[in-house]
Amino acid sequence: MWGDLGIVVAGLLTLAIFSLLYKDNPVYKFAEHLLVGVSAGYYVVHYFYSSVIRKFYVPVFQQGDIWLLPGGVLGILMLGRLWKRFQWISRYAIAFYVAAWSGYLIPSVLQERILVQIAGTFPPAVGEASLWTILGAILILVGVASILVYFYFSAEHRGAVGRISRIGIVFLMVGFGASFGYTVMGRVSLLIGRFQFLFEDLPKSLGRVGP
Amino acid sequence: MAGRRNDEGLRGTGRFQDILVNLDRRIIFLAIAAAVAFPILLPLNLPIQVSNEARAYFEEIERLSSGEVILLSLDYEPDTMAELDPMTLATLRHAFRKDLRVVAMTTYAGGVGIVERILGEASREYGKAYGTDYVFLGYNPDWSATMLRMGESIKRTYPTDHYGRRTDEIPLLSEVDSYEQIALVATIAASALAEYWVIWAGGKYNEKIITGNTAIQAVLIYPYYQTGQLSGFLGGLKGAAEYERLIERDGAGVRGMDAQSMAHLLIVCFIIAGNAGFLIQRRSQRRARVGGGDA
Amino acid sequence: MKSTGPVILGFLVGMLMFIQYFTPDKWIEARYNNVLDWKQVVFGITLILGVVSLFLYHWRKIEKREAGWLYSIVTVAGLLLMIAGAIAFSPQRGPYTWLFDYVQSPMQSTMFALLAFYVASASYRAFRARSFHAALLLTAGVIVMLGRVPLGELIGFSAGEKTYSLATLSTWILDYPNMAAKRGIMIGVGLGITSTAIKIIVGIERTYLGKGA
Repeated sequence: MWGDLGIVVAGLLTLAIFSLLYKDNPVYKFAEHLLVGVSAGYYVVHYFYSSVIRKFYVPVFQQGDIWLLPGGVLGILMLGRLWKRFQWISRYAIAFYVAAWSGYLIPSVLQERILVQIAGTFPPAVGEASLWTILGAILILVGVASILVYFYFSAEHRGAVGRISRIGIVFLMVGFGASFGYTVMGRVSLLIGRFQFLFEDLPKSLGRVGP
Repeated sequence: MAGRRNDEGLRGTGRFQDILVNLDRRIIFLAIAAAVAFPILLPLNLPIQVSNEARAYFEEIERLSSGEVILLSLDYEPDTMAELDPMTLATLRHAFRKDLRVVAMTTYAGGVGIVERILGEASREYGKAYGTDYVFLGYNPDWSATMLRMGESIKRTYPTDHYGRRTDEIPLLSEVDSYEQIALVATIAASALAEYWVIWAGGKYNEKIITGNTAIQAVLIYPYYQTGQLSGFLGGLKGAAEYERLIERDGAGVRGMDAQSMAHLLIVCFIIAGNAGFLIQRRSQRRARVGGGDA
Repeated sequence: MKSTGPVILGFLVGMLMFIQYFTPDKWIEARYNNVLDWKQVVFGITLILGVVSLFLYHWRKIEKREAGWLYSIVTVAGLLLMIAGAIAFSPQRGPYTWLFDYVQSPMQSTMFALLAFYVASASYRAFRARSFHAALLLTAGVIVMLGRVPLGELIGFSAGEKTYSLATLSTWILDYPNMAAKRGIMIGVGLGITSTAIKIIVGIERTYLGKGA
């Protein structure tokens, strides 16, 4: 019963959001503000439970793990953002967070996003792969190298550097084109999801709650 | 219907090209709505080919043995559920059908409700029991710290599951506490999260990773697949449809493919129309400049 | 105290997290795990802070009867209703989950579905082959758009046992030129991330701490 009623409510709210396509209107604005409020309420409950209760209160006060106490202290320092006079206190929490992130990011990014990717760019040895595979690998090598030259701004893009970077632009344009094609695909898929709801799920529920 | 000025702010030089470049946006909206709606109401059943990367995703799960544990991280919110829900459901059906045990989690707070709904649906369908066949750890803040901390201890990362039950009392987790006991990590992700699973669970802890991604994100995944850092991936709703075909259980992915094709075709037609109008207009303006503009 | 203190703390924590990658030392590993736990708490509280700011923004708007204050009531009511639902019943059932399933979830997904209309309109209005590079982008976009859907698999020809279709062409684009482009960008961004992270740890980059740091 509540589920079927919910689907009808969901259908009405879906149409309220779609009404923006005609023009901005009070029904859309109502739905938009309701979405912001309900989402914020939903998130804050999970943030509170997962961080304050599960990662701080339970381990420190129920399990006696005092090593987790500083996390709560840093979190409290973060609340200094709410008062202008105490905003500087929150810098400790921000510095802690950003520096910790930076610390473990450096070796991981260097290894997985740079070194492994560079290794993967070099073509396989002749005899280990087919001619087409080697030609494809050479194409990738040329593309990656020329793009890196294009992103190298310490030298003026003239002469050989300019010519190589122009090859890089060609690869980038094809890459952006592919991204565009996939972006269209993604957006259309989201619309399909809503239409499947409106034309498949909603009529079924209306059939159940109707006369 | 046709406006007075073209998209460059120049006065049009002819009626046909004016119509081509100045269609009212609401006409475009209606056309897109029709292109998506009709194939949903009247399916065309276009054939679906399976890509290598989707097959690799399928095979990574297929080669696991009964009882092995997979970590399924559902890293998305309702905004992208149309694309990713079919992948999640298909992955769970595949895993449960093979009697794999599933540890589910999410790094997005908005993903909690989605995981509960789909886990509930799939577990009911295959008669799986909570705590022994599958478990839902819930949401944990800070995805990077979560991924790394789980490499050391899942139970310390999640002292309780989503329902407040202590993780050290859950039977499934009695023999699972880090990536070492997990045969495969599958992440269905809306953002760059798949990349970070590769960097941390894959790079630091040598875990095998497969991923389902939104179409927008999928295009950035290819380099990781080529290097083998990712063992397989699904790209967008098409990827979901391919996977549904592989597990022989059609769902929202396959059902959406006709609408996807029609909408893409229409958008291509719009692009061609816009460019045709633009080129005709540019040529007419050049002619006008050569003929009388210089005088 | 106000700016040097946070930079020193950042240096110590950053170095600890950096060093742990290279050492099996148990004490460092234990502290590394502590930092990861603390980070999760800070992250969660920071997000709560964001919601508090949103609440205060709308609350002030209602108090001062600013333009659109009636809509702010809707936002504040929605927020409080969710919290009340979670406290009165549970975050696992009742109005809290009902509102997520039937209010938040459909509206959030519809909001993003609107983009399908706008991307179609923008493709028609702005996607012009004004130059060689723009034509290249457009061509690749159209091939991928058609080649990645079942329709593109039907557009093509067979030569012997092999079939060449738009899908084949789009797969080639994705596997080679696109992959080279994405990898080039990825390596460039990776170098940028690494250098910025080093600057943060050693205290050269402080803008993230705000004004006067």
